[in-house]
Amino acid sequence: MKAPAFDYVRPSDIGGVLAALQGGHAMAKVVAGGQSLLPMLNLRLARPTLLIDIARIDALRTIDDRGTSVRIGAAITHAELEDRDIAGCAMLRTVATGIAYRSVRNRGTIGGSLVHADPAADWPLALAALGATIIVEGKSGNRAVPADSFMRAAFQTRITDDEIVVAVDVPKLSPAARTGYYKFCRKTGEFPEASAAAVFDPVSRRARLYVGALSGPPQPLDNLATTIAENGITAITEAAVAAAVDPIAGHDPAERRMRRAAVMRALKDVFAS
Amino acid sequence: MTTVAFTLNGAPITADVQPRTHLGDFLRDNRRLSGTHLGCEHGVCGACTVLLNGAPARSCITLAVACDGADITTIEGFDHDGVMGELRDAFTREHGLQCGFCTPGMLIAARDIVLRLPAAGERRIREELSGNLCRCTGYVGIVDAVASVIDKRKPCEATADSVVPHVTAPALPRFTPVATQARPAASLPAEATRAPADEKTARQGWTRFDESFVIRKPRAAVWELFGDVPRVAACLAGAQVLSYDGKTVKGRMVTKLGPIAASFAGSAAIERNEADWSGTIIGAGSDSGSGSRTRGEIAYRLTSLDQDMATRVEVTVLYNLQGALAQFSRSGLAQEFARHLVGQFAASIGAQLGDDTLASRATGSSLNVGQLVWSVAKQWLRRLVGRTD
Repeated sequence: MKAPAFDYVRPSDIGGVLAALQGGHAMAKVVAGGQSLLPMLNLRLARPTLLIDIARIDALRTIDDRGTSVRIGAAITHAELEDRDIAGCAMLRTVATGIAYRSVRNRGTIGGSLVHADPAADWPLALAALGATIIVEGKSGNRAVPADSFMRAAFQTRITDDEIVVAVDVPKLSPAARTGYYKFCRKTGEFPEASAAAVFDPVSRRARLYVGALSGPPQPLDNLATTIAENGITAITEAAVAAAVDPIAGHDPAERRMRRAAVMRALKDVFAS
Repeated sequence: MTTVAFTLNGAPITADVQPRTHLGDFLRDNRRLSGTHLGCEHGVCGACTVLLNGAPARSCITLAVACDGADITTIEGFDHDGVMGELRDAFTREHGLQCGFCTPGMLIAARDIVLRLPAAGERRIREELSGNLCRCTGYVGIVDAVASVIDKRKPCEATADSVVPHVTAPALPRFTPVATQARPAASLPAEATRAPADEKTARQGWTRFDESFVIRKPRAAVWELFGDVPRVAACLAGAQVLSYDGKTVKGRMVTKLGPIAASFAGSAAIERNEADWSGTIIGAGSDSGSGSRTRGEIAYRLTSLDQDMATRVEVTVLYNLQGALAQFSRSGLAQEFARHLVGQFAASIGAQLGDDTLASRATGSSLNVGQLVWSVAKQWLRRLVGRTD
């Protein structure tokens, strides 16, 4: 299977990307690693008329410690996050290590995963749970979008056709914080059938629990997270998890079970010692 | 054509390539390096794995044009590589090679494992090799071969599994979380408000869902509109009626979901039952681009509400999707796509009849997908007429 014909440009900076987006092409598409887009091109599900390659723009390839948060450039690959220990952001490494396969992680990027907005992808779920912020740049400057509202629906995000994601701000967790991440995959590296992420930080008093791999964006389980933060491990019961998950998990009994189990196992990480 | 220059197996090369040519095809067709095998061509099987700037990459989902200035090594470029020599010997010894199709990709992935994870045990090797499929299912020999090379290179007795210290972290203390900030209403999912599919009417391989929406117009007005096929089609963004003879409609439907675009051409038979305000549309279509085919049945029924000030429209959609798009139906995405279309249809029907409450409703019911898709449809229309605001 071969991709349809398209034009290709590789601007040297963000300004060049924004200019190319406004160049009047019927359907321009920004590409970084292309690890989700290229399969779609080869299957001819996607037919952009122009690809704008941002993978090598230096400004998108930095990881900056900003004190209370870490700013990760949009074109940082999953493998780079897998190989790096970022203080206060240990969960990034855990999540990156489980994405697809190493040869895909070597090319796929964190920004690309967010913008592609596949509901079963790891970064939309993990960054929502971490309370991250997505930095979006357009012709009128930067704006910040909370990661937990960035995806509107499957493959739909809050960036417009003339904007790009330039970075992700991930707040650092305290040493007392505990996180959990779990996904069910039929085969290692496949997209999950169900996934869940949990972040509990007693210092910043954040308690966030999300279920992912739905038909739309990851969904928060705020009440359950609050109850668990206040009451500890005793609050994690089959009934409590079912009550939180079932209303959003559809009608398929197997799907409901997998999602409950994903939440349970993510929480098990949090309370494992 | 675009000119690219990169290093291939140690030698600089320059070539003209089309932007759409992926690296795997370039290597095989342009450079005659047929050791790189192409299997699935969408990044699943790993047979096409090459080294790109020293790291394994899939040449079927890497554009040749994006490799300008890079350093590429194919299986042909490892003749004098020590680790690869050890792996070749080990594959021979452990019977890690059967038909040989996956072998170039397996060797390049295995070399990366040996160098990057010098303490990997069997479980880790299996996980790391999960992106390389062997159609002979000869995994035991392959894993043994990789493990034997790793074992031979280990400097001492200690293995990764035994040196991992067991750290006991302090238990999570209880705390009262700060209130979660209000988030913009998520547009999905609203499954809880949707009727479950009726098991008895479910057909093997078909997807069914039920959706309903209210239009604040009398039933007769809605019924009249539903009978006017070209007008109904105008409410479906991307739909185009080519012919209509009162019973059969032929047309085209262009849809878009994120990067996915499909253009279905097909025909449908339309029946209306005046007695109980119901109708059915049975049709089939195909997308020549992706080679996807769909068959579907839409049944609707109108109920009068509020002394006929409003009409409830109940829609049951039953469809079957085959081809490339169906492969993409993981996690009910195709179903969600179809739901979006119904939601968007509801908003447009409302707008046609002068009831804009559907299009402007922001949150609350299962119909907020309608609003979402309405905005997508507007973007699509903007592109269609060439405006760039």
